[in-house]
Amino acid sequence: MARVTFDNVVKKYGDTTVVKGLDLELPDGAFTVLVGPSGCGKTTTLRMIAGLEPVTSGSIRIGDKDVTKLEPKDRDIAMVFQNYALYPHLTVRENLAFPLRAIRVKRAEALARAEAVAATMGLSELLDRKPKDLSGGQQQRVAIGRAIIREPSVFLFDEPLSNLDAKLRVEMRTELLQLQRRLGITSLFVTHDQEEAMTLSDFIVVMRDGEIAQQGKPKDVYDKPNNTFVASFVGSPKMNLLEGTFSTGKFVSESGLTLAVSGVPAGKKILGVRPDDIVLEVGGKSASRGRIGVIELLGPRAIVQVEASGQSLTAVVEASRMDGIVEGAEVGVSVRAGSHHLFDSVTGLRI
Amino acid sequence: MSRFKLIDASRILVLAVAVVAVALPLLWVALATFKTPADLNQPGIIGFTPTMANWTEVLSSDIFAAVGRSVLVATVTVAIAVVVGSMGAYSIARFSTGGSLSRFGILAAQVLPPAVLVFPFLSVAYILRLNGTLVPIIFSHLSFVVPVVTWFLIGFFAAVPKEIEEQARVDGFGRFDTFRLVVLPQVLPGIGAAAIFGFTLSWNDMFYGLILSPSNSTILPVAIAGFNTFRGVELGPMAVAILIAIIPVVIASFFVQKRLVQGISGGAVKG
Repeated sequence: MARVTFDNVVKKYGDTTVVKGLDLELPDGAFTVLVGPSGCGKTTTLRMIAGLEPVTSGSIRIGDKDVTKLEPKDRDIAMVFQNYALYPHLTVRENLAFPLRAIRVKRAEALARAEAVAATMGLSELLDRKPKDLSGGQQQRVAIGRAIIREPSVFLFDEPLSNLDAKLRVEMRTELLQLQRRLGITSLFVTHDQEEAMTLSDFIVVMRDGEIAQQGKPKDVYDKPNNTFVASFVGSPKMNLLEGTFSTGKFVSESGLTLAVSGVPAGKKILGVRPDDIVLEVGGKSASRGRIGVIELLGPRAIVQVEASGQSLTAVVEASRMDGIVEGAEVGVSVRAGSHHLFDSVTGLRI
Repeated sequence: MSRFKLIDASRILVLAVAVVAVALPLLWVALATFKTPADLNQPGIIGFTPTMANWTEVLSSDIFAAVGRSVLVATVTVAIAVVVGSMGAYSIARFSTGGSLSRFGILAAQVLPPAVLVFPFLSVAYILRLNGTLVPIIFSHLSFVVPVVTWFLIGFFAAVPKEIEEQARVDGFGRFDTFRLVVLPQVLPGIGAAAIFGFTLSWNDMFYGLILSPSNSTILPVAIAGFNTFRGVELGPMAVAILIAIIPVVIASFFVQKRLVQGISGGAVKG
């Protein structure tokens, strides 16, 4: 178990800077998720911890040990790759035992430990199979089992769930979280899926263009996004962001939509409203009117598109309140009191 | 007759011509082993009285000593070529060692006529007092077997997914252990094919053998040429020796033909 500390880490490929001076600390024993759109440098960051990518400048420490220049084998880490990277020529049993071979554990003991891990991962039936004879989910379990067998100080996960089908992905998510809780090993999980990031993480790091856009507890990041990028990236469906002008008690968007928002100093700003904070009322008294567009029913709730004064808004409506909300209906649109987010219209930073 | 049948028929015709072109000389050689010198001098005549004289003559000669020496030369050559070639091929496939040139440039030496190299081999062997042994032949064979084996293996190494190597490194193995324990097992079929391919190259070489062989203990292709005597070509016994030389190659190519295509195209296509 150990903290992982990045100190002003820069990574360049030729003239392109992929990671721009990263300062980051992964809390000891916590499940940290690194999330961001493709090309934001998150996988590179993970690979730098693993030692698979050399660092251009800066340093990385695992615990108190500076590992910046160490070979991967000397870093005491384990990693699960997106495509599982099982050794095709070895059976499940041998795959699981393989990392023990590196630390010269006796063969009989290594195989016994492999069987023990297989039992906890539900792989006991498959011990003598080769990877090509396993399903995606089973391969995934073997890859995770192989990562935990040595009890490393850090776990690294590079989008390990993205090759699984949706149902299995959710199951594995829970399983992974339980496993991490049980072992208490510092973990870093990279994903581009913000939902995965929110559900898994103790600590979330949102990256953009090689920099940290925001880090913190998932709830804090969700409740108080630092800037418009994080605001629209975290949360699904994404936050409505409207540019416009505030005056006493109201907001007028550039396209002319007026919404009642109180307690905001006058001026040009960006208004952010989560879809669940947009209130739609059939025949309601709100002065702002909108027309319902597409409705995506999710079961307990629905995602509803609303056109209001040339402005497209996304709202989430509970199933119990769907009466009268049908395509083409006219509704009153308002913002739940006190739920708004404000951002600077030039810098996009939270006000 | 439909168009497709016509295409099929012409396909079969082309293949039949190819098979005849390849197989007929072999068949002729096989039949020649049972012919008397008189019959051999009348190639137009189909019927002949078979004789075992050629076989008895060759089998009681020292041909098997030459076979043994050829096996020894080819085995040592291939053993060295596979060790050196697999490491070279891995390095070129994974790290682009030598840039894009080395992938094909490695075969550049094949362009040189062996006559250019044979004299240096001979004089170096003489200086090292190795003339009269099989060592210079082995080294001369390495000069063309190593590049071919290396080139052949590049495609196989390039096909090994990078992730499993990275996984091995993260799992606690150094570069060389990763190569030995994880990469090599993935390319074993390719290495087997390369070994057989290299073996036949060495086995078939006559030029270096002719000049570098110890005069009284030569390798098989040179021994075959030895049937061309001052009394004329002894076709019958020579045919027996040729058959002995060909059979292992035919059997070997039967086993590796699939990998052979993969190796040759893999090395060529992956740029």
